[in-house]
Amino acid sequence: MISDKFRRELREQAKLWQAEGLIDTSFYQQLSERYQFNTLETASRNRFLSILISLGGILLGIGVITFVAANWQVWSREARVALLLSLFVAVNAAGFYLWRIPPSRSQSSNQNILPATIGRNKLLGEGLLLLGALILGANMALMAQMFHIGGSSYGLFLAWGIGVLGMAYSLRLTSLGVLSALLVGLGYWLAVLDWSSKVEFSWLEVLVRQMPIAASIMFVPLAYWCRSRVIFAIGAIAIIFSLQVSIVQGLNPSWAAAIFCALPPALLWGYDDAIWPNVHSRLFQPTARSLALLFLAGVFYVLSFHWLWQDSPNPAQIPPDWVLLANVAVLGGFTVFEWLRLGRLELRRPKQKAVDLTTGAIGILILASALIPLFHLSFTPIPQLATFLFNVLSFLLAVGLIREGLALGNRQTFWGGMVLITLQIISRVFEYNTELLLKSFVFVLCGIGVIAAGLWFERHFAQINDE
Amino acid sequence: MNTNNIDLLVKNPDKTNVFQLPPEAKRLPAWRLWVPLLLQIGLIAAVPATAVYTFITGKTVVLQTAPVDPYDFLRGYYQVLSYDISDRTNLQKLPGWKDLPSDKTPCPPGIVCPKNTHNIKPQTSFYVILEAPKAATNPGRPQAWKPVRVSLKNPANLPANQIALKGKYNSWRIEYGLETYYMPEDEREKVNQEISEAQRKQRQSFVVEVKVDKTGHAVPVSLWVRDRNYRF
Repeated sequence: MISDKFRRELREQAKLWQAEGLIDTSFYQQLSERYQFNTLETASRNRFLSILISLGGILLGIGVITFVAANWQVWSREARVALLLSLFVAVNAAGFYLWRIPPSRSQSSNQNILPATIGRNKLLGEGLLLLGALILGANMALMAQMFHIGGSSYGLFLAWGIGVLGMAYSLRLTSLGVLSALLVGLGYWLAVLDWSSKVEFSWLEVLVRQMPIAASIMFVPLAYWCRSRVIFAIGAIAIIFSLQVSIVQGLNPSWAAAIFCALPPALLWGYDDAIWPNVHSRLFQPTARSLALLFLAGVFYVLSFHWLWQDSPNPAQIPPDWVLLANVAVLGGFTVFEWLRLGRLELRRPKQKAVDLTTGAIGILILASALIPLFHLSFTPIPQLATFLFNVLSFLLAVGLIREGLALGNRQTFWGGMVLITLQIISRVFEYNTELLLKSFVFVLCGIGVIAAGLWFERHFAQINDE
Repeated sequence: MNTNNIDLLVKNPDKTNVFQLPPEAKRLPAWRLWVPLLLQIGLIAAVPATAVYTFITGKTVVLQTAPVDPYDFLRGYYQVLSYDISDRTNLQKLPGWKDLPSDKTPCPPGIVCPKNTHNIKPQTSFYVILEAPKAATNPGRPQAWKPVRVSLKNPANLPANQIALKGKYNSWRIEYGLETYYMPEDEREKVNQEISEAQRKQRQSFVVEVKVDKTGHAVPVSLWVRDRNYRF
């Protein structure tokens, strides 16, 4: 898009050139037509007008809000309900009809140079629809307040998120989808924190307990429908988090620890868009795999601390919760299916010189992260060995990431590995009581290493992307 | 990172037009707005639905409030009230309390446990049967109903002067869904003074009028402080 400033300057320059005889009148006309010099004045007038209108709109809005605030207590409950609902409907309808207007096509063919009003209506409409989604939540909260209902806050967020989800599906709007995923995630988080009121049966309770499956059904199709990686990522985080909560609440500790560490990264790494019918591109596999690596790095880093393995395992037997386990079983079965499929793909593919973190290596890392806690909790406690092994695993993952980043010239992977390895070294230095001199030596070495590696990487491999 | 499976991989999908809406989505039919909007309005309406149902079909009952700290009562965004029947000690003498499911926590050794306390299971829902006062002595202000017994099931065929109110045992307190109030800001000071005066002279004069429906669900209707009535 070409700025008005440039057009204005160009017009002055072109006039100058014409006066100096550098260009002739017909050439000036061509320039004038191409850059629409004649619309410059009207454009600035329009802008002034739109600023005035929006300023007036803001003042008007403040006036209305103040009026409502002044009379809120005086009005009857019915009047307040009617006002809230009509505001809600009006904002949504205005947003929708603005958003729906097709971009105005300018009369000439040079539309790609001057996309003057394209998208302004659409943007405003989308903003209003987003505002409508926020008003939905405000309305629900105000209803509860007007009728003195002391409901749970997680219920509010979950119901709100589901309402927004419906609109996101219908209008295929990424912004609403993101909002919905955030609201449902927040609602679930609050529900997990709020341990009370877990006995009474209600649809919210069912939703919270079945969240891993529910989130999969709600957000994975939406991510494809909107083609949005953000929705997929937030949805995947919600699924993984709820899955972990289900594992912790539903299983006895030794098995829970193993599945807790292994199932989420396995599920994410094995994810392949091509298992769905009618999906012809691997849109989200990279996102899922990045999340899997992030999760693995986090698990390895946390489990490499020695104090975590110190306390003696006390397997307090809790009765397994079959409803929660159904979730784990469904997603676990899906994971097995994914990995069988992956294995078949790997076997079928012609052998190539592997430069990437292969599925095999990741599989071994995941398996190790499952077996070590299982052995520690079920057979004999192995605090020293487990700590050592997880340090090794963490180191291997970091080195693998760095190598991967170098081989493919992928900046994020490289720096992710660097951060992981630096964090690991610094944590170990602080964890074990070593002499100050050694500490300073390690820090200096780490600092020099990171700077040198970073400079080297940026010099040698960053050009690959630019080419 | 993932060069295996190149066959289907989109190199940079954010920049290709896969991420744009197909042209036919440019002008959506109107139902695409109105159907989810109706669903959302349904969600909004569902919030007060039971309260409205109870308000319309319910029977008026008066509950005695427990003493509150008037200086603390009207602070903050909403107010929390408790009633005589919110306190466990007022209910455990009633018939039926012993039949509620109990929480069998073993007595820790070395500590003498009180024999006659019947610790019921947390989160148990039960019904408190309230009876109307015999005669209206004071015409202006209603008198509080008295709890007569408790029951795990909602009792059928109650006499006309009795009603069952559903409560939930929540570690020490019993909750009836009547605890939270939102008081208009300009009335707070006045109500505060009234409450503090009423409590100093006669405690019985601070009561709450509620409506209870057949299922035992209740909604608050108004607040009585001495002879003054504050509608919610």
